[in-house]
Amino acid sequence: MSILTLQNVNKKYNQAMEFAIKGVSFDVKEGEILALVGESGSGKTTLLRLIAGLEHPDSGIISLSGQKIVEGKKSVPAHERQVGMVFQDYALFPHLTILENVKFGLKGSKEEVDSTSRETLKLVGLKEDFSKYPHQLSGGQQQRVALARAIAPNPKILLMDEPFSNLDAMLKDQVREEIRQIIKKTGITAIFVTHDTKDALSTADRIAILHKGYLQQIDIPKVLYENPVNPYVANFFGKRNEMMAIPTEEGFHTSFGFITDPEAKKFKGKVKLLFRPEHGEVVQRDGQQLTGKIVKISYFGSHQMVKLADDEGQRVTIRTNPGRSFDGIDRACFYLWKYDVEEAF
Amino acid sequence: MKAVKRSYYWWNKWTGYSLLILLLVATPLITILIKLFDSPGGSWSHIANTLLFGYFQNTIFLLLGVAALTFLLGVSTAWLVSNYEFPGRKYFEWLLILPLGFPGYIMAYTYVGILDYTGPIQVFLRNTFDIHFKGSLIDIMNLPGAIFILSITLFPYVFLITRSSFLQQSKTLQEASFLLGANRLKTFIKVALPMARPAIVAGIALASMEVLNDYGTVKYFGVNTFTTGIFRAWFSMGDSNTAIYLAAILMVFVFVILFLESIQRGNRQYAAVNGLQKPTARIHPTIGKKILYSGICLSIFLLSFFIPFLQLLNWVSMTWDKVVNKDFFLLIYRSFGLAAVSGLLIVVFSVIMLYALRLSPFKWVKNITKVATLGYAIPGAVIAVGIMIPFIGLDKWIYGTLFSSKTAGLFFSGTLFALVFAYIVRFMAVGYNPVEAGFQKIGIHVNEASRLLGIRSTKTLWKIDLPLIKTSLVSGIILVFVDVLKELPLTLILRPFNYQTLATKAFDMATNEMIAESSNAALIIILTGIIPIIFLNKLIEKR
Repeated sequence: MSILTLQNVNKKYNQAMEFAIKGVSFDVKEGEILALVGESGSGKTTLLRLIAGLEHPDSGIISLSGQKIVEGKKSVPAHERQVGMVFQDYALFPHLTILENVKFGLKGSKEEVDSTSRETLKLVGLKEDFSKYPHQLSGGQQQRVALARAIAPNPKILLMDEPFSNLDAMLKDQVREEIRQIIKKTGITAIFVTHDTKDALSTADRIAILHKGYLQQIDIPKVLYENPVNPYVANFFGKRNEMMAIPTEEGFHTSFGFITDPEAKKFKGKVKLLFRPEHGEVVQRDGQQLTGKIVKISYFGSHQMVKLADDEGQRVTIRTNPGRSFDGIDRACFYLWKYDVEEAF
Repeated sequence: MKAVKRSYYWWNKWTGYSLLILLLVATPLITILIKLFDSPGGSWSHIANTLLFGYFQNTIFLLLGVAALTFLLGVSTAWLVSNYEFPGRKYFEWLLILPLGFPGYIMAYTYVGILDYTGPIQVFLRNTFDIHFKGSLIDIMNLPGAIFILSITLFPYVFLITRSSFLQQSKTLQEASFLLGANRLKTFIKVALPMARPAIVAGIALASMEVLNDYGTVKYFGVNTFTTGIFRAWFSMGDSNTAIYLAAILMVFVFVILFLESIQRGNRQYAAVNGLQKPTARIHPTIGKKILYSGICLSIFLLSFFIPFLQLLNWVSMTWDKVVNKDFFLLIYRSFGLAAVSGLLIVVFSVIMLYALRLSPFKWVKNITKVATLGYAIPGAVIAVGIMIPFIGLDKWIYGTLFSSKTAGLFFSGTLFALVFAYIVRFMAVGYNPVEAGFQKIGIHVNEASRLLGIRSTKTLWKIDLPLIKTSLVSGIILVFVDVLKELPLTLILRPFNYQTLATKAFDMATNEMIAESSNAALIIILTGIIPIIFLNKLIEKR
């Protein structure tokens, strides 16, 4: 069952400017974690703030657990929406202690409020003294308090703005997993904004990709990666190689060599073969494969990237295992085990 | 789908309150605009034919003279203290701001006293060297004298803003200039000065606003300007329409200055391209130059603050036993009360307008607050006339319709209500700016976080925003307090009959040949003014 529904939501900050959000519609299912991904200026944070009630759309409908919270120019104010939010800078109240921060949004008897906030702080794994003030905590600890404060009142939906951007690389992988666990444990529906595809792929159940205010595609990570609906989405998860090719009855003629593929006869005229670096494999020279001149080898520890060029200067990058040695050779053979074909104009 | 109470998001009560405040604050300007369409008063043709040219001449010379002299005093001292190390440099940084605590009119009659036949200089010369002068040592009761007095009280505006601009200029830029072969002087003229230009002009513009606002100094020196013209039309001729016409012309001056300031600034933001740049390191000049630089700063400080301050202390020691009595304490009590109430109200209004701005997604709310804080640029006499006229009208209407009385009583006009109202119009920006800075510093996210936790905007203001900007609120109140205490022209026109404040009492006594006696009230005004100046300086240094 969907808990949040957006129908044709539009938002412009300024009449003269382009749309910040244009015709966006999607559903979020109960208990799922959705990542809003896009470059800066794609409208992802605006979308989050529209759901929170901190910004207002020019038109469109937003419903939260069966109630319309936005319809045209009318809207339910933020404080009545029961939406939890973790800000990028955490926005902890500096004049209140950790415990007081978490208590802030809770209603009920003193004892209830106190025990709920202590439990929530334990849930997020904060082992500090609760009477400390926010400035006495590390960035990671502050984020836990912010998360506890947001989920303590049991909101209908949890929003997080760039939750991992302030953490250093070492901590990031650990925190991503922990936060996912906490959210899943509470069963809360969550939406988070990120510009990092790694965050989205590893943490979210589904990913929505925004570009210039338009929703490009929303689906599970595997589908987005393997079956992108357009080049923008495809390139978003890493660069794709482009190889010009001419289809024949048996396969594709390329400047790197011939690829046997019976599907090729479906195409007419020039085509582009699109493939990710990991969809190719560098192999021993045996004549039947594609070959290119080695231009550059970049070593990344877990893998290396080999840049190969044909005689006309066209270049492709192939991913290979880190142990492979290219000493003393200036040409390498490779084959492609997966590629998309696109008509070239 | 279940229906939920939904409201129009673009409206909230804060926006409504802000509109109301704007309407009130804009009253004087609206009055002047409307009244301009009436025919001019009976004495207008007389003033236009005989006095108007003189008003123009004096006002323009006064503006140009003060601009030149404040530039010279302010920029040179700012350059010295921000670029060189010399004895007393650290102290001059704040000592040179102290003259701001001296209202122009007090500086004026203090200097007249110093140079007078019975003043300390002539007494000393007579007694020691038997040198006699007829009358005053130097006659400063004229246009050049007014320029001098206003410049030594107003140059700290230029000094302050220019100094902070010099401090923001990056070390690397100046080093680049040296490496390209320019010496200190050339670097100053070609790099530092052009970069500081927006700041310098802003400082001079502020000083010019004060010049147009000034009544005490020019009146005392007998220099006729538009402000004295408004007073003459209002009090001596009882001709409100002529006062309005003069006020309108004065406003043209104000808008020209605001306009010139804004076009020279343009979109340029020279200072601090990158916040991480280090400020210029001060250099140690030769001993001779060190003495010279100390000497320059010291003489400016002596002339603009220390000597007149000593003179005031001397007068106080001679007269306090006669002047400081029960009435005098009543005077302090009234003045402080007025200043505190005005400060409090201005800060409350500022919080309301800024909170509307904080919650509203709309640009036009920003414009409301911009207009509401324009009062600092409007000369006090103009505000006074612009408030008096509608209030007198309101009183006539109240007494005419409600009490069917033919004589108008004083319900609004001539009451403290009108006076406080006028202070609010004039000094809104003074309290508004620190509160705005406070809100900016804490950011919007804490407020949004609170509202998302289910707390209404009003409660959020009380529980989150206000506790976090406490110090800004206090500094807003203090800054307004000091300005109200010093204010003269507004108070003179709008005060209830026979109602005295420290400022009006000091001015009345001085103009009635009781200069020495007036020093008691003056000293309190100056001492109160010095406290926030030091406080303000600390704030600038922290930045």
